[in-house]
Amino acid sequence: MAELSFNKDHGYLEGLVRGMKAGILTDTDYHNLAQCDTLDDMKLHLQSTDYGKMLSSSEEDLTVSLVDSKLRENLVTEFSCLRSNALPPLSTFLDYITYSYMIDNVVMLITGALKQRDVAEVLPRCHPLGAFDQMAAVGIARTPTELYSAILVDTPLARFFQEAVSDTNLDEMEAEILRSKLFKAYLESFHSFCKSLGGATRDTMCPVLEFEADRRAFIITVNSFGTDLSGADRSVLYPSCGKLYPEGLQLLARAEDHEQVKAVADCYPGYKIIFDDPEPESGCKTLEDRFFEQEVKLNTLAFLQQFHFGVFYSYIKLKEQESRNIVWIAECVTQRQKSKIHNYIPIFK
Amino acid sequence: MVFRSEEMCLAQLFLQSGSEYDCISELGELGLVEFRDLNPSVSSFQRRFVSEIKRCEEMERILGYLLREIQKTHIAVPEEDESPLAPPPRQVLEIMEQLQRLEMELSEVARNKEKLQRNLLELTEYTHMLKITRTFIHSRSRYEEFPTMETDSVSGCTGMQRLGAKLGFVSGLIQRVKVEAFERMLWRVCKGYTILSYAEVDENLTDLDTGEISKSVVFLISFWGDQIGQKVQKICDCYHCHLYPHPENDEERADVLDSLRTRIQDLNNVLHRTEEYLRQVLQKASESAFSWVVQVKKMKAIYHILNLCSFDVTNKCLIAEVWCPVSDLANLRGALEEGARKGDATVPSFVNRIPSSDTPPTLLRTNKFTSGFQSIVEAYGVGDYREVSPAPYTIITFPFLFAVMFGDLGHGIVMSFFALWMVLTEKQQKKKRSSNEIWETFFSGRYIILMMGIFSIYTGLIYNDCFSKSLNIFGSAWSVKAMFTNQQWTNKTLQTNSLLTLDPNVTGVFTGPYPFGIDPIWNLAVNRLSFLNSYKMKMSVVIGVIHMSFGVVLSIFNHLHFQQKFNVYLLFLPELLFLLCLFGYLVFMIVYKWLAFGARDSSQAPSILIHFINMFVMQGKDLAPLYPGQTGLQIFLIVIAMLSVPVMLLGKPLYLYWLYRGGKGLRRRRGYERVRRVSEDDTSAAASYEDDDEDEGLDEMPGREALPKEFDFGDVLLYQSIHTIEFCLGCISNTASYLRLWALSLAHAQLSEVLWGMVMRLGLRMTTRVGVVFLVPVFGLFAVLTVSILLVMEGLSAFLHALRLHWVEFQNKFYHGTGLKFLPFDFSLLPSVFEQDGLL
Repeated sequence: MAELSFNKDHGYLEGLVRGMKAGILTDTDYHNLAQCDTLDDMKLHLQSTDYGKMLSSSEEDLTVSLVDSKLRENLVTEFSCLRSNALPPLSTFLDYITYSYMIDNVVMLITGALKQRDVAEVLPRCHPLGAFDQMAAVGIARTPTELYSAILVDTPLARFFQEAVSDTNLDEMEAEILRSKLFKAYLESFHSFCKSLGGATRDTMCPVLEFEADRRAFIITVNSFGTDLSGADRSVLYPSCGKLYPEGLQLLARAEDHEQVKAVADCYPGYKIIFDDPEPESGCKTLEDRFFEQEVKLNTLAFLQQFHFGVFYSYIKLKEQESRNIVWIAECVTQRQKSKIHNYIPIFK
Repeated sequence: MVFRSEEMCLAQLFLQSGSEYDCISELGELGLVEFRDLNPSVSSFQRRFVSEIKRCEEMERILGYLLREIQKTHIAVPEEDESPLAPPPRQVLEIMEQLQRLEMELSEVARNKEKLQRNLLELTEYTHMLKITRTFIHSRSRYEEFPTMETDSVSGCTGMQRLGAKLGFVSGLIQRVKVEAFERMLWRVCKGYTILSYAEVDENLTDLDTGEISKSVVFLISFWGDQIGQKVQKICDCYHCHLYPHPENDEERADVLDSLRTRIQDLNNVLHRTEEYLRQVLQKASESAFSWVVQVKKMKAIYHILNLCSFDVTNKCLIAEVWCPVSDLANLRGALEEGARKGDATVPSFVNRIPSSDTPPTLLRTNKFTSGFQSIVEAYGVGDYREVSPAPYTIITFPFLFAVMFGDLGHGIVMSFFALWMVLTEKQQKKKRSSNEIWETFFSGRYIILMMGIFSIYTGLIYNDCFSKSLNIFGSAWSVKAMFTNQQWTNKTLQTNSLLTLDPNVTGVFTGPYPFGIDPIWNLAVNRLSFLNSYKMKMSVVIGVIHMSFGVVLSIFNHLHFQQKFNVYLLFLPELLFLLCLFGYLVFMIVYKWLAFGARDSSQAPSILIHFINMFVMQGKDLAPLYPGQTGLQIFLIVIAMLSVPVMLLGKPLYLYWLYRGGKGLRRRRGYERVRRVSEDDTSAAASYEDDDEDEGLDEMPGREALPKEFDFGDVLLYQSIHTIEFCLGCISNTASYLRLWALSLAHAQLSEVLWGMVMRLGLRMTTRVGVVFLVPVFGLFAVLTVSILLVMEGLSAFLHALRLHWVEFQNKFYHGTGLKFLPFDFSLLPSVFEQDGLL
C-alpha cells in the first residue's frame, strides 16, 4: 500500500531521477566518443549530450583529471539536488549512498597520513559525495579507537565502527582491514534498512546489495592471496548479507588460490559467468570489469519498477560507471591507446 | 481559389572557394533556402570547418564572460536597430584579438580586485577578532583563576609554567554553524587540555572563499603544550578557521588595531579606484558588445552551414544542396552574385536545379495577420507539400465558430478593444520583448482575438445579447397593446394571471420579424430559453453540415492536384453523397419547416426529429407528410447513402488492384507532358500509384523502376475500410459534435445572466441614495467577474472548442498534415545563446 502515497512524498524526485536517467550516454554517444582524436573533440561531443557546457567554461587546459573532477562535480550537483529535496525515509536512503564514499575517503586520508602526505594534497582527491566536516582531521588519529572516539564519533560512520575498533597501530594493511570492516558493517546495515523499507525497494535493492556484499567477499579473497591474511582473518571481513552467506563464505575462507575461488563461484550461477574463462572475442577483461558489468546489469533492472528507492541508488551507480567510462576513453585518447578504447562498459544497450 | 504551399525545387549551389563565406552570409541575411546535410555520415567534430566553429565558441565564451561582468556592474548594453553583417574572415582575427585583450585586462583587474577585497576582509576580521578577544582576556582575568597574558608577562610564573608546559593561544574566526562540532572535537582530541571561549561577531561577514554572507564567531583557545598545539592547529585547519596572530599584551593590541584601521582605509581607497577603472573598461566594452554578439552568432551559423556542404573533386568549389521556392530562384542567383562580388572571386558561383524524388518541405508564406491562423493549423500538423491549406478559410470560420459560442455584444466589444490595443501598440510591445509566456501567447494571437471580438459583436447582435440584456434598437415587433385593443385581455386578466401568452394570431400583436437578430421582447419572456434552444440547436446543425461539406469539397482539389482522378469518383463523390443524403436532407427539413409553417399553423408543425428517425426505420405512414412525395424521396436518399458505402469501401482498393494487374487507367495518357510534370512537380506518396499508370505502356520494358513498391491489396483494403468506417461514423458523431456550438453559447448566455442577476441587480434594487454608493463596489465586482470568468475562462473554453471543431471535424475531411516545415537558413530566426541566459 506504500505505492498509494509514494508519489506524494517522493514522486517528484523519482520523476526527476528518471528524467536524468534519460540523459545517460547511449551506445551511439560512446561510439562517437571513441572516435575522437583529442580531448577537445570529446568536449565538443559531450556538449551535444546532457553534460552540455560542463567542460567548455573552464579556461585551463583540458586534462583527464579535469574531466574527472568535472564529472564528479556534475554528479555531486545532481545528487545534492536530490538530497536537498528528499523527505524521510528517502533522505536516509540517500545518506546511506554517501556513506560508502565516506568510508573510502576516511581510508584514503589515513593512508595519506601514513605516507606523510599533506592533508591539503589528499583532500582534493577524496570523492566529494563522501565529504564531511571532520574529514581533514582524520590524519590526527593513530589507532582506530582514537579515530573513532575523537573524530568519527560525530559522523554517521560512527555506528559502523563498533566492530572495527581496535588498538593496533594503523598501518596500510590495517587501513585496508578497517575499510573492509567498515564496509561489512555498512552493507549489512544498508541491507537491513532496505529490508525494513519493504515493498519494491526491498525487491530491487536487496539483490544489488547482496551482489555488492559478495563482490567484496570475492575481491577480499582474491586480494589476500600472497599476503599474511589468514582464512580466519578473512572470514571476519566478509559481509554476511550476500547470497554466499553462510556456506559460500566458509568455502571462500578456506580458498587458497584462484582456482578454488572459481570453484566456489561455480556453485552460484550468478557468479559463475563472472569467473568463467573469458571468451576469445570479448578480449581480456579484468575480474573487476566483469563485476562492474554485472553491477550495471543489476542496476539497470531497477528502472523496470516504479515506486521504490532503488532507482536513486542505481542512477548514482550508473552515473559513476559512466564517469569511469568517459575517463577511460579520455585516458585512451590522450595516451593514443586506440585498441583498448572499447573496453568501456556500455550502460543502456 | 485554392491556397497551396509554395512550389519548391532542389537546387545545387556551386560556391567558388574564396567567396563561399560571403555567399552563405548573403543567403543568411535573406533567408531564402533550406540547406541539406551532404555529409550525414561524418561526425560533427570531423567536419571541415570545426576549427573555425571552435574559434567562434571561444569568442562566445569570452563574450559571455564580458556580458556577465557588464551585467554585474548594471551597465545597459545598447542595442542597435540594424543588425551588423557577418564580419569577413579577415576581420575575425581582429575581433578575436580585441576580445582576448579585453578578457585579459578584465580578468587581471578582477583578480586584483578580488585580492584587495580578500585583504580587506581579512583585515576586518582581524579587527573584529582583536576587539572581541580583549573582552575574553579581561573577563577571564577578573573571574577565573586561569593565567592571562598580563599575569603571564608580568609575574612570569604561574602554576602551569611551573609544570614546564608552555601556555599558547590560538585565535581566529569560524563560521557559526560549525562552532559546536568544533568545540566537541577539540575537547575530545585534546582531552580537555584546552580552553575555548567564543563570542559572535555582530556584523555579517562575507566568507573569504565562497563569498557567502554569514555569521561568524570569534574564538580564543588557550592550551598547554606543543603536542596539543599541533592538534589544535590541525583541527582549526579542518574546520576552515581563519587564524590570526594573537597579540601579547594590550599595548600591542592597540598598536595593531591602529595600523589595521589605516590599512583598511587605504585598501578602501584602492578598491574604489579599481572599481572605477573596471567600470570604465566595461562601459567601453558594452558599446560594441551587441554587434559582437550578433557578428559571432552569424559567423558560427555560416560555418555550421559550410559544414553541411560537400567538396567537389577538384577542391575548387563547395557544393551545397538547398530547397528553394521556385519563385525565389532569381533572388537566390542575385544573392550568389552579390556574395561573389564581395568575396572577389574570379569565377562566379552558380545555381543548378536538380530533379529529386524527395518530398520537398512545405512553405506557406504568411504575414503578421495570417501567421496566427497558420499556426493554429500547424499546431495540428504541417501540411503536405502542395496540399490545400485550410488556413485561409480558417481566418473566417474560426472566429465565426468561436463567436457562435461567445455571442455577446458587450463581451465582444471588450475583447475587440483589448485586441485593438495590442494591434495598435504592437511595435512598442515587440520592442519590450516581454518574457512572460502567457502574455506572449496572447500577444502573438492578437489578430485572432481581434477577429474573434469583431465576430462576437456580430453574433451578439444576432442573439441580441449585451451583457445578457437585449437592445431594443428597431423597436420590438410584438405589441402587448394589441392584445387589449382586440379585447382579448382586460385589466382583470392582468390581475388574475401571473403569466400571460401573447398570441401572434391576433391582429396587431405580431407585426413581422425583427429586422436584425432576435426580437428583444424575448428577453422578457419566460419561455425564452426553450425558444432559443430550438433555434440554436438547429443553427448548430446547419452550420456543422455546411462546414463539413465544405471540407469534403476541398478534398476534390487535393485529388485533382495529385492526379488521382479515380479518388474523385471513388472517394469524394460517395463521401459527399453520404453526407448530403443524410445530413444535408436534415438541413433541408429544418429550413423547409422554417419556411413552410407560419404563426397561424404552427400548432400543426411536425417534429423534425420524428421524421428523421422514421426516415431511417422506414416507418411513419401514419404521420402527416411534410410535403407531398416525402416517403419516396426519403427512401431514395437512404438507398443512395447506403449504396455509397460499398463504393467507398471497395472502390479504391479494387481499382488500384486492377491497375496493378495491368488494366488501363481511367484517363488516357497525354504523352510527354505528363511524364515531365510528374518528375519535376511533386511526387508525394499518393502519386506513386500514378507512376504505375504512367508506365503501363512500357511494362514490357525490362527493369522498369516505376513500380515503386509491392502492391499489397490487404493493406490498401484495410486502410480504406478504416477510412470508410471513420467517415461514416464520423459523419454522425461530427454532426452531433457541432451541437457544442449550441451548448457553449447557451452556457455563456446563462452564465452572464446569472452574473447580472446575482451581482449587478443587487445594486440596482436599492434605494437611490444607498444604491449610488453601493453600486461602485458592486460594479467593480461585476467587472472583475465579467473579465475573469466570462471573457477569459469562457473565452478560452470557446477557443478550445472552436479549435477542436477545426482540427477534428473540418480538417479530417481533407487535410493530411504530415508534411515537413520549410526551415530556411535565416540569421534573424537564429536564437542567441546570450538571450536565453538573459544576458542581453
